Amino acid sequence: MNGSSGLPADRSVRTSPPRVTQVAFLAIGAAALAGAILTSRGIEARAVARPETPQPIFFPRAEILRPALLGFTSLAADLTWIRTVQYFGSRMEGQERFPQLYQFVDLATSLDPHFLDAYEYGGLFLVIAKQYPNAIAIYKKGIAANPSAWKLPHDLGRLYFLDLQDYQEALHWWQITDRLPGRPHYIPRFLIRLQARLGHVETAMELWQQMLEHSENEAIRDIARREIQKLRRQMQQKQSPDGIR
Amino acid sequence: MNSVLIIAAMAFTETVRDKILYSILVFALAMIGSSTILVTLSVGGEGRIVKNLGLACITLFGLFIAVFIGINLVSREIERRTIFSLLSKPVRRAEFLIGKFLGLGLTLAVNLGIMAAGLMVLAWALEGHWTPRILLAAGFTFVELLILTATAILFSTFSTPTLSAIYTLLVFVIGRLSADLMAFAAQFGGASLKAMTNGLYYLLPNLSRFNLSAAVANDLAVDPGTLALTVIYGALYVAAVLALAIAVFQRRDFR
Repeated sequence: MNGSSGLPADRSVRTSPPRVTQVAFLAIGAAALAGAILTSRGIEARAVARPETPQPIFFPRAEILRPALLGFTSLAADLTWIRTVQYFGSRMEGQERFPQLYQFVDLATSLDPHFLDAYEYGGLFLVIAKQYPNAIAIYKKGIAANPSAWKLPHDLGRLYFLDLQDYQEALHWWQITDRLPGRPHYIPRFLIRLQARLGHVETAMELWQQMLEHSENEAIRDIARREIQKLRRQMQQKQSPDGIR
Repeated sequence: MNSVLIIAAMAFTETVRDKILYSILVFALAMIGSSTILVTLSVGGEGRIVKNLGLACITLFGLFIAVFIGINLVSREIERRTIFSLLSKPVRRAEFLIGKFLGLGLTLAVNLGIMAAGLMVLAWALEGHWTPRILLAAGFTFVELLILTATAILFSTFSTPTLSAIYTLLVFVIGRLSADLMAFAAQFGGASLKAMTNGLYYLLPNLSRFNLSAAVANDLAVDPGTLALTVIYGALYVAAVLALAIAVFQRRDFR
């Protein structure tokens, strides 16, 4: 005994547990871990077996969401944007239907009205999804919140020119782009061509070429490459006798 | 003045020796670094994701340091009874509190400096150019955290550490919400609700003023006059809270 504490005097009994107990606890630990791994695999197997059901996504209004974010709205806009990219990317490879794409882009840009990339790429995603009125709404919302950013009227002009073939509207938005600082060098050339009602295919080719050369994103460059090939085929068909017939 | 600096140096040494500080710092740096994983999931906005997440980490982990170390600065001295030997010397209670506040302020400055430097290097590696405005945003977060440190010290002069931590975190939440509450009351509330939210708005700190993350992430212009006034507002608010803490601490009975 150790004085009044009542503990055994032999210190080795306290400091090193018997080997058998140690081994037993290690075995119990290993068995529990193995059991946890097996259970985890069982849960995963059940998840795969269940048929995939469409998951409706709830979109709160930005004005309601904003106070709950305690000032971290810009970060929330980033996270919403990442979710938008994942939503678009996953459906791009599958069914190519994007019923909630506009709500995603709208929420990201409402949380941070100065998030230029969200307007730019969000607008482009909506164009790819052929949701033109929604794309126009996003570009116009971005232009209202960021009147000095040349990229947004430029991209809206591109949408009118390439996808809607509304050359009057394209002219209007590129005239606005032309007045903004940092605008690309080719805008005055496009304006001359549009005013002369000439060279629409060449303009389209140059627009996609610019996107191919200046975009830092591989997915966007892929889209530009595809569109350039399409335009080249169109030009060849026009030039060849078969195309005329 | 000399005794204030000695107590500040002691408080700094004491907090720097606290192991929880290092775990918070390592975790914060790991979180800031992890933003590079998020970047790979995005198309566009890569630079701003790193800056936004990094500045949010600096605010939140700085808040943990301010609250969880701030609440113990005074209460630990009372609990260990070391306050008796301190106050038996020619040290005023006001000097004791101001010294403690400055010591933790210095600890916060060092930690926020390390986190901001880490974030700047990360943003530079991603974008290829320096963003010195990250330091500006971290500086304003520092002023915000000084208000919360003073608040934590105020609560710890009359309450238990747990309650002080809860109260200080509530002040952070209300301080970040106050501008929204005011707007909400203006839109939907009646005259009495408007008067109440007006009173609360001016009484409680408006911490959203110190949040520059959106301006840094979007490279927006900030008005230097507004920034200067915001710093003055922060300094005056800290002075007011510390004065209240000293007034409460003067009447505190340590028996």
